[in-house]
Amino acid sequence: MPLLTIATFLPILAGLALMALPDRSARIAHRVSIAATGAVFVITLAIWARGIVPGGFAQIEEMAWIPAIGAAYRLGLDGLSLPLVLLTSLLFLLSAIYSARVGERAASYVVLMLMLETASLGTFMALDGLLFYVFFEVSLVGMYFMIAGWGYEDRQRAALMFFLYTLLGSLPLLLAIIGLYLGSGTFDMRAWIDAPPLAGIAAMLALIAMFFTFAVKIPAFPVHTWLPAAHVQAPTAGSVILAGVMLKFGTYGLVRFAYQMTPEAFVQAGQVILAFGVVSALYGAFAALAQTDLKKMIAYTSVNHMGYVVMGVAVAALAGDPRIRTIGLDGATLQMVSHGLVTGALFFLVGMLQDRAHSRGMDEFGGLLGRVPWLGWAFVLSAFASLGLPGLAHFPAEFQIFLATLNAAPWAIVAILAIVVTAALYLRAIAAVFLGEANPKWADMPDLDRREKLVIVPLLILTVLVGVAPGWLIDIIHTTMTGLGG
Amino acid sequence: MERDLAFLVPELLLAGAAMLMIVAEMARAARLVLAIGLVALGLSTVLTLPVLDADTSVFGGTYRIDAIAGWAKLILLPGTALALLMARAEIAGRAREGSVYALIVLVTLGALMLAGGGDMMVLIIGVVLTGLGSFALVTYPRDDAATEAGMKYLVFGAVTGSVMIYGLTFWFGGAGSTLFSELGALEGQVPIIIAGLIAVIVGLGYKASLVPFHFWAPDAYDGAPVSVAAYLSVITKAAAFFAFAQVLRDLPREAGWPFALALIAAATMTYGYLAALVQTNLVRLIAYSSVAQSGYLLMGVVGLGVSSIAVPAILIFAAAYVAMNLGAFAVVMVAGRSLGDLEGVGRARPWLGVAMVVFLLSLTGIPPLFGFVGKVYLFMAAVEAGYLWLAIIGILNSVLGLGVYLRMVVPMYRKPDAALAHGSVGAPLVAVLAVTVVATLGLGLLASVFPG
Repeated sequence: MPLLTIATFLPILAGLALMALPDRSARIAHRVSIAATGAVFVITLAIWARGIVPGGFAQIEEMAWIPAIGAAYRLGLDGLSLPLVLLTSLLFLLSAIYSARVGERAASYVVLMLMLETASLGTFMALDGLLFYVFFEVSLVGMYFMIAGWGYEDRQRAALMFFLYTLLGSLPLLLAIIGLYLGSGTFDMRAWIDAPPLAGIAAMLALIAMFFTFAVKIPAFPVHTWLPAAHVQAPTAGSVILAGVMLKFGTYGLVRFAYQMTPEAFVQAGQVILAFGVVSALYGAFAALAQTDLKKMIAYTSVNHMGYVVMGVAVAALAGDPRIRTIGLDGATLQMVSHGLVTGALFFLVGMLQDRAHSRGMDEFGGLLGRVPWLGWAFVLSAFASLGLPGLAHFPAEFQIFLATLNAAPWAIVAILAIVVTAALYLRAIAAVFLGEANPKWADMPDLDRREKLVIVPLLILTVLVGVAPGWLIDIIHTTMTGLGG
Repeated sequence: MERDLAFLVPELLLAGAAMLMIVAEMARAARLVLAIGLVALGLSTVLTLPVLDADTSVFGGTYRIDAIAGWAKLILLPGTALALLMARAEIAGRAREGSVYALIVLVTLGALMLAGGGDMMVLIIGVVLTGLGSFALVTYPRDDAATEAGMKYLVFGAVTGSVMIYGLTFWFGGAGSTLFSELGALEGQVPIIIAGLIAVIVGLGYKASLVPFHFWAPDAYDGAPVSVAAYLSVITKAAAFFAFAQVLRDLPREAGWPFALALIAAATMTYGYLAALVQTNLVRLIAYSSVAQSGYLLMGVVGLGVSSIAVPAILIFAAAYVAMNLGAFAVVMVAGRSLGDLEGVGRARPWLGVAMVVFLLSLTGIPPLFGFVGKVYLFMAAVEAGYLWLAIIGILNSVLGLGVYLRMVVPMYRKPDAALAHGSVGAPLVAVLAVTVVATLGLGLLASVFPG
């Protein structure tokens, strides 16, 4: 059975079915949404059970599309994409459950969410350059309407900035894809990976174009400025998907396209790319330290965490020893998943806090831990995970990245300073919001209800699980990365 | 002779239908005029299919029956039928209604001449035939705005047309033939190539509304009925690009003409979008946006002769452009001519809103819509021809274009100040919208039907 195709298109088909229903009330819309995303989650588990193969793509599904130019519908999986696919289907399911309280134009909201899920899964599974670009851009449209339609105060401006920024960012990728096509005569990404079609200056130009695109998406300093605006204005589920799933498009593309399709140019530019990673990691941490808006603060820590991913990929290219390469890539991929879990949880929690208080300003709270213990402890756990505490999700990933960095480019270890800064900013946030003197204004704030616990508990369990016993996940990633490293 | 005529069945059928339509209009039977037109367009489209793969010419090489001419018919004839339906929705019951239909079909006949022209004389006939009918169409409302627009259009057309005829005589002198297939003989005669080329760029560039020959377009579109503006913005423009393809593919690629065209392409798309950014009149806004789209189409022309993908690129983007621009104009017919009229349309009429979003995103070039496929082909043609910088300018302009089109999308989903009328849209327009949406969405996914 073509499970990959079913998983990809089931959400959008459910969305279309919803549009055709006579009764499009909020209740029905959210039921359709939870049922569809739940089914997709189960299907992706089945895809996981089918497994992947070392040294290439598994579960390939292929169909003619535009034979005249060698573009086809091609889907497939490897150890880089499978964890991201699982993360995507999980976060969409949790977002659907969380969003069940959205009443305003619920049917349109659900259709957009489902369209985004199709685009996200398609982006990770596409094995055709043109098809990848199609999914990549559709996600942009979905997120634009999501922010513009259901965001907060200044949403129109933020949505426009997001759209213009990321469209300008993604078009160079199209040029690179055209270049790869003209060099090889096909859009098959497997062919591009097996025999990189460009060399010399053409490969370097393609790499620059691709790196620009993915740097905007990741986002790396200095093209990150759309991110805080978009996150602050986006609805909670939009923020979760944006941070948890869509930022991964950038790092996924960095490995899949830049690292795999222009390998020689990537090695030549390795130090520069590494520098972008280091600066992003440091800048993100310091910028987050300066925020008093909780959502903005978490948005900037994303810049920091994704900076580590860029570092991991860059040191993998620079390392001479294949073992170190594999460690760098393993760490970078695991970091993508950890960031999805932890930051997803943090955005959900801030959203829940905002639902109650209609405010995200740190200094307006205080002593909430006694008032709302579930919300408080969940935030504390996720914050500790985010600052890289051993035993929680980010630690094994960042440990591997820094290990590889120390080996391949010791100067870049300065980025470890960012961990100290992150620790400081999270402790400050916890102290301001959850500890200290209770603000009487929030004396009757309710704790998490059942639906909210249902959303947050799976993420917390996975955060701990990946931190304590990451073997099951690293095994998947490692299957492919040993091939890439060698 | 008989063989030649057999290849010309679609054109002959259309010419005959145009005559019949004029006769029927004399009897003031507007519905009959429309019916004849639609049937003839449909039949001609079907009759084109058997000769689609033919690669030949008739009447001593003066008229070409090749992929460009064949696909041009498949694009222009259904597009014209849609324009007829739009005109019906707008001017039903008004005086001289049938004349509009008859003129539209005549202009389309001229457009086919342009698309199939293999000879300078046929090119000139095409330019004149499309021109004369269009002037009359623009002045149809008989008010001051329309008359002024028609005058501008006529004067511009007369001057550019004469320049073109004058310049073409240089090519005739240099090559010793009026056939485009003999243009290869000009190799090495740079001044003559340049003289004739300037003429062609002026004459066809005016039809294609390339900068700096675009001044008539916003005025003419705004003065004319919306349906006529829609028609002129797609059919005569697409035909001008098909003519470019026919003329320039045999011209030696020397004297730097691809570079000159690339400069014009860059200027056209940039200027078009910049001007569109400040418009508040929807018709003028779409008029400037279609100026910008001309710049993109010209990227395909730049690649002619070196890139095997240039001709398919022009055909595919032209098809996409016909569908999405007609659709956008159809939405304008429902909503109103001012940008403010779009306020809340997406909330009051969800399907119309979705349709407009599809058209506008396709015009921007967002996948998986038809306009995106066309743009990918155009970018590939330009890059393959060595014009990477032009592709980059095209890409930067796509972002500018997004700004232009979002100016229309954003107000559609605002809460309207007053309750919007929920009048019915009418069967002809619903049909037009349905066909254009399905084409814009579906042909993006099924782009494999096109030649490559």
